[in-house]
Amino acid sequence: MNDIRLADAVRSGLHEACDSLSTVHMAVPASTIMARADKTRRHRRQGVLAGAGGLAAAAVAAAVATGIAVPVSNPSYAGGPPDGHVAKGSGVRLTAWTVTRQANGSIRVTFFGQLRDPAGLQRTLRADGIPASVTFIGEQNPACRSIPVAPGGVVGGSGFFKDVQGAYERPQATAPRQVQAQGATSSQNPYDHQQDALVIRPAALPSGAGLQIAVMRGIPLGPSGPWPYPKGSGQAVVEIGLVKASPQCTGS
Amino acid sequence: MEQDRREFEEFYSAARDHCLRVVLISVGDRHLADDLVAEAFTRAWASWRKVRGHPAPRAWVVRTALNMHVSWWRKRRREVALHSQDEAAVASQYPGLDIALVAALRRLPAKQREVIVLRLLLDLDTATTAQTLGVPSGTVASHLHRGLAALRREIPALDYQEHVR
Repeated sequence: MNDIRLADAVRSGLHEACDSLSTVHMAVPASTIMARADKTRRHRRQGVLAGAGGLAAAAVAAAVATGIAVPVSNPSYAGGPPDGHVAKGSGVRLTAWTVTRQANGSIRVTFFGQLRDPAGLQRTLRADGIPASVTFIGEQNPACRSIPVAPGGVVGGSGFFKDVQGAYERPQATAPRQVQAQGATSSQNPYDHQQDALVIRPAALPSGAGLQIAVMRGIPLGPSGPWPYPKGSGQAVVEIGLVKASPQCTGS
Repeated sequence: MEQDRREFEEFYSAARDHCLRVVLISVGDRHLADDLVAEAFTRAWASWRKVRGHPAPRAWVVRTALNMHVSWWRKRRREVALHSQDEAAVASQYPGLDIALVAALRRLPAKQREVIVLRLLLDLDTATTAQTLGVPSGTVASHLHRGLAALRREIPALDYQEHVR
């Protein structure tokens, strides 16, 4: 036996398998696919333009007031007061997300579109006492060490937004089972997912632990997300886990 | 722009069912495969100028869809234990499907599965597979060898098929 002949057998088997799926067809029309991509592209462009416009105005104002040039450091900042009380360290509203401290001490992260400036979100959370590593999915920081999920442990798995236009059915069904399987109650859980937002309870984070938050690149989040994900998708767009807090992973 | 749209529509029309079936074989869940392929084509249109210049645009779509599935599966593995319900459901839905081979394929590590799908199901050569995956050709050969070895262990009947051909 050799790899070539074995590969031929596998190739033949896979092609037969593919042929057996002749009744399977992609029902989504091309126009829907293209409209979705065009809309996402427009949102991205508008966000950048809005951010750049706000910064340009601020830069001009600062230049007039002080007579010195102001560097543009982050095009995603839109400025303006946030809704609700802003957690210490953030102080601005971002077009992509806001971080607010709630009356019970929890931290609420709200998204308004695609994730931009994940490093900025990480710094903001850190300033509010949440060690976190924030990245896009597939680009997680290799320096981060996951904290294994123990049976009956506090937390594991991932989070998701259950209400992107009300379309995520499987995550809604999975969430209670996940919590139950791990013996965790919502009060023990250091994070929760509410509509368009992620709520983090600092007091529930185990000592020495931080959160690893990974968001799928290019997917709009929050109530303004333009993509009505097909029902039954079950696809997480936000993955959350526990990691060991360290300068290399969660910053210092 | 209008020319781009026409090209993409033609590509989508010609490739969508094939890509869906390939991804369905790899993931075993019809709804998930639908979503992954729709999203992969969406990204293909968003990057159409790059994708249309790719030596194997279908492979680009399939690889993009499977990459998203890796993330999805990584998450799901920590939530629920793996069981055979999905396989049984697929088997009953598509009676002609070689469920043993498909199930064994799905149990392969992601890279090995990607290589086998691209090399043996989409019939790409090693160089194009390497370019699609962004790895050296030697890595493709290595993943293919290991993947085939794993399939051989899982499905001894493959050896028999090999002998009778």
